[in-house]
Amino acid sequence: MFADRRIGLMLMMPAMFFVGIAFLLPVLILLAEGLRTSEGWSLARYTSFFSDSLSQEVMLRTLRLGFGVTLASAIIGYGVALTIANASPLTRSRMTALFILPLMISPVARTYAWIVLLGRTGLINKVLIGIGLTEEPLRLLFSETAVFIGLLQLFLPLMVLSLTSALENMPSDIIPAARILGANWLTIFFRLILPLTREGLIIGGTLVFTGAVTAYITPAVLGGSKVLMLETLLYQRISVANDVATASVIAAILIGMSIVTHSLIRRLTSGKRSS
Amino acid sequence: MMRLSGFSILALAMLFLLGPFFIIAAAGLSAGDLLVFPPQGLSLRWFVAILDIERFRVSFLLSMELAIISTGLSLLMGVPAAYALARYDVPFREAMRTIITSPVIVPAIIAGLALLRYAVIPLGLPVISALILGHTALVAPYAVRVVSVSLTHLRVDVEEAAILLGATRSGAFFRIVLPNIKNGMMAAFILGFITSFNQVPVSLFLTGPGISTLPIDMLGAMEFVYDPSIAALSTLLALMTILIVLLAERLLGLSRYV
Repeated sequence: MFADRRIGLMLMMPAMFFVGIAFLLPVLILLAEGLRTSEGWSLARYTSFFSDSLSQEVMLRTLRLGFGVTLASAIIGYGVALTIANASPLTRSRMTALFILPLMISPVARTYAWIVLLGRTGLINKVLIGIGLTEEPLRLLFSETAVFIGLLQLFLPLMVLSLTSALENMPSDIIPAARILGANWLTIFFRLILPLTREGLIIGGTLVFTGAVTAYITPAVLGGSKVLMLETLLYQRISVANDVATASVIAAILIGMSIVTHSLIRRLTSGKRSS
Repeated sequence: MMRLSGFSILALAMLFLLGPFFIIAAAGLSAGDLLVFPPQGLSLRWFVAILDIERFRVSFLLSMELAIISTGLSLLMGVPAAYALARYDVPFREAMRTIITSPVIVPAIIAGLALLRYAVIPLGLPVISALILGHTALVAPYAVRVVSVSLTHLRVDVEEAAILLGATRSGAFFRIVLPNIKNGMMAAFILGFITSFNQVPVSLFLTGPGISTLPIDMLGAMEFVYDPSIAALSTLLALMTILIVLLAERLLGLSRYV
């Protein structure tokens, strides 16, 4: 509307300078520190990080949990989103609000609930012993399973919300049409629903994946030092050994993953607008 | 048949997402000394006890202040930026948008560490200022995005009409635009407040003895507290958030902006 580029620029400046200097600059210095050794610039920190067996283990576990949680949330997400999308508009908006709500509650409180449920004397163990499946309480906390469950609870709503909005944009008569033409549910899902909600799936998937691989609270509380993920490893390297070099490498890995997934979302959403 | 299985999936997902809250609420209501479910008798003693713990009171107040100050600051910078992006032909538009949204892309724990090492330690910046810097940067992208949403709903010709009728451009902004994006700004404030209040990773390296936010204090206490007090505190926090979100949904339609 207004052509004056100078005023536009001036209005942008406070936010630009603030984020640039107070946020981006320190992060860039940190990244640079991982590329520097006493002999000058080198990738030595990166090669030693990737050849260390603990780092490899943590890296693999982080990716495994990231993909696992994404896959599980996609499967549950479709089931939930298909049900919500078929409901009446009022129910639909109430349901959407119910899935937004947990996202707003403190992740610390959300994670703490699993300690009550999964602990040695927790509800799950009591039930398992009660129905005779096991005699000794199982060690459920501080395991990868516990971290998986915690992450799934934290990020499932993001998948449900993006799939729901993708399904709402799908023409509503195509499923009945396919039914009349004799398609079974499997065909309908893989030939119609999946291709038509691909964007929503990718957006939800990248949100869940980035959320899971960059999680701190869940692995810290439910995994402990036995089940480290990249962020808990970073914290441990700094607080135990003040090992900034390793922290910088982990930071680069996390930022790299984040940039890839965000640019994927960006491309998908901007493509939709122009079409 | 399809309908029935659909609703059972929905019910199970709800149970999985919301059930744990009922469990901690029940565990927090226990009359006994141990964190267990089902609770050993019912009482409000842990809810009363938690309010008496000095440490949590101090960090609760700090988290409140921090959330209000950083969200306020981020709106102060975010509203002009969102307005410029919506109405002006800004040079290097995409580059600038990328910089402003970078706090969403960089994991917060890294920002916290970077602020500690390159601002707090070498420059002697007080920890509280570093916390404010980190939280403000983190909330800024949300402020810009939410305000942008309400600006795109506001028709440009209303402003043009005001200017044609003799209003100055800034007059049109303060008398026409601002009142119309008030709801969006409120929504941005609430979302930013909640984001900052619940934020852990950015504060992780920036807190220490004497200065701590509530979520960090809770994380620390989880390691050695085995009574229901943390469950009671978690329940209070969850209830506070639910109340804020429900009110905001009623008054502003918060979910339109998420």
